[in-house]
Amino acid sequence: MSIFSLSRKNLTRKPGRAAVLTLLIAFLSLAVFGGSVVVLSLRQGLASLEARLGADIIVVPSSAQSKVSFQNMFLQGTTGAFYMDVSSLDRALEVEGVEKAAPQTFLASLKADCCSIKIQVIGIDPAADFTVQPWIARSYSRELGDMDVAVGCKVEAEVGEIIRIYDQRCKVVARLEATGTGLDTAVYCNMDTMRALLAAAEEKGISHKITSDSEDSISAIYIKVQDGYDIDAVNSRLNGHIRKATAVRTRSMITGVSDSLAGISRTVTLLIAAVWALAFIILLLAFVLIIRERTREFAVLRLLGTSRRMLGRMVLLESALCSLLGGVIGIGVAALAVFPFSTLIETSLNLPYLRPALGVILLLAAGTLALAVIIGALASAGAAWRLSRVDPGTALREEN
Amino acid sequence: MKKTVIPACVILALALAAAIGSQSFLSPCVHEDGSFGACHWAGRALLGIGCVTAILAALALALRNAKARLGVYLSLLPVTLLGILTPGTLIDLCRMSTMRCRAAMQPAMIILFAVMLVCAGVGALLSAKE
Repeated sequence: MSIFSLSRKNLTRKPGRAAVLTLLIAFLSLAVFGGSVVVLSLRQGLASLEARLGADIIVVPSSAQSKVSFQNMFLQGTTGAFYMDVSSLDRALEVEGVEKAAPQTFLASLKADCCSIKIQVIGIDPAADFTVQPWIARSYSRELGDMDVAVGCKVEAEVGEIIRIYDQRCKVVARLEATGTGLDTAVYCNMDTMRALLAAAEEKGISHKITSDSEDSISAIYIKVQDGYDIDAVNSRLNGHIRKATAVRTRSMITGVSDSLAGISRTVTLLIAAVWALAFIILLLAFVLIIRERTREFAVLRLLGTSRRMLGRMVLLESALCSLLGGVIGIGVAALAVFPFSTLIETSLNLPYLRPALGVILLLAAGTLALAVIIGALASAGAAWRLSRVDPGTALREEN
Repeated sequence: MKKTVIPACVILALALAAAIGSQSFLSPCVHEDGSFGACHWAGRALLGIGCVTAILAALALALRNAKARLGVYLSLLPVTLLGILTPGTLIDLCRMSTMRCRAAMQPAMIILFAVMLVCAGVGALLSAKE
C-alpha cells in the first residue's frame, strides 16, 4: 500500500477529524482570497477613476460644490444637474496655462424607460472632449450622432435599442467598458442631443435650474494644463477669472477616495492577519491532540516495518490533502460571495470598485492555495516529527 | 435512508431562505413613487417557487419509500431550474445593474437555486441507489 492511499484511507476513516481540519483551512482561504479580491478591486477602481477623470482641473458652478453633488456623481453615480453660462468656457480658455478645455452638460432624467430610477445624462462635445471620448472610442469608433447615446456598462440596454429619455427616442450605439465608478451608470450623448433633451425636459415643466437659455448652459469644464505650468497656480487663476464657478483639482477628489481606500485596505489586511494567526494556533492545537490520539496507531505501523521517514511523510501528506481541499472550498465560497455581488459591494462601500483581470484572479487563487498548503504543512510539521519518533514498545505499554 | 434525507434538509432550509428572502432581505427594488417594476413580480414568482420547493423538500423528508422519494427529487430538478431562470431571464428586472434586484436578489437567488438543483441531483442519485 502506498503512502498516498494510506493517508487517504486515514482521512476517510476519520471523517470528523478531516472535516474539522478542512473547514479550518477553508475559512482561512476564504478570508485571504475574498479579502484580497476586494482590496485589489478597490485599488483597480481608484486607478480607473484617475484614468477616467483625465483632466487636471474641473470647473463647476459654485452651487455644485455646496451640494457635494459633483464628487458623488463620479463615485456613486447619483444624478446631479447644475449649470453655468457657456461663456465660462471662453473665459477658461483665456487663462494662461490652459491647454485644453472641454465642456460637459449634465441632465438628471426622470425614470427613463430603460430604468426604474433616474439616470444621469452627460452631454459632451466630441470635438473638444479629451476625457470621455477616448473611453467611448474603445467601444464605438465613430462620433456620436444626433439622438445617439452611449451607455455605461451598468445600464442594461443593448446596442441598437431605442430608449426614451423625456419622451425623446434615443438610439443606443455603444455600451462602454466598465470603469468601476459612478460613470458606469450614466448615458452619454453629444451637445445637440443634450439640447433636445433639455428642451424636452423644459416642455414637461421640469425645472433643471437652468438660469439662462439651455443652448448656452454647460455643467462642467474639464481643463488640461499645459506642460511646465504649475497646476495649483492655474487653478487659482481659473478661480479668479471665472465668476460664480469653482475650479477643483481632480487630485483633491482622488485623495479623499484614496484615504478611504487606505483605511479599508488596512482593516482588511489586519483582519486577514488576525484570522491567519488564530487559525494557525488552532491548527497547531489540533495536531497536538492528534498526536495523543494516534500514538498507538503509529507504534503499530513502526512495528510493521514502516520507516520514520515514511510516517512523517504520511502526516504531512494528510495535512496537505486537507489543506488542498479546504483551500479549494474556501476559494470557491469566496468567489461565490465576492464576484456575483460585486455591484452590491461597490454600492455599499461607495468607492470605485473594478474587478481585476482574470489572470490576476487566477494568480491570487493559486497563491492562496499554495499558502493554505504551506500553513497546513507548517502546523503539522511538529506533529509529523514527534509521531515519527514514537518508540513502539513504550507507546504500546503506556496505552495498555 | 439517512444519507438520502440530507439533501432534502439542505433544500428545505435554502428554499425557505429563498422564499422569505424574496420578500425581505433580498426583496426587489422599492420605487420612490410607490409604483411596481417588473422586478416586483419576479420577487413574487420567487416567493411561489421557494414555497413549492420547500413543500417538495418536506415531502422528500417525510416519505419512507425510496422510489417515491426519488420521484420527489426528480420533480425538484425542473422547479429549482425555474428558480434560476426566473430573475432576469423569464421575468425582466430593472435595467440598471446597481438596482437592488440586480445587485442582490438575482445573484443570491441564482446561487441558492443552483445549490438546491445540485442537492436535488445528489438526492436523486442516492435514492436511486437505495
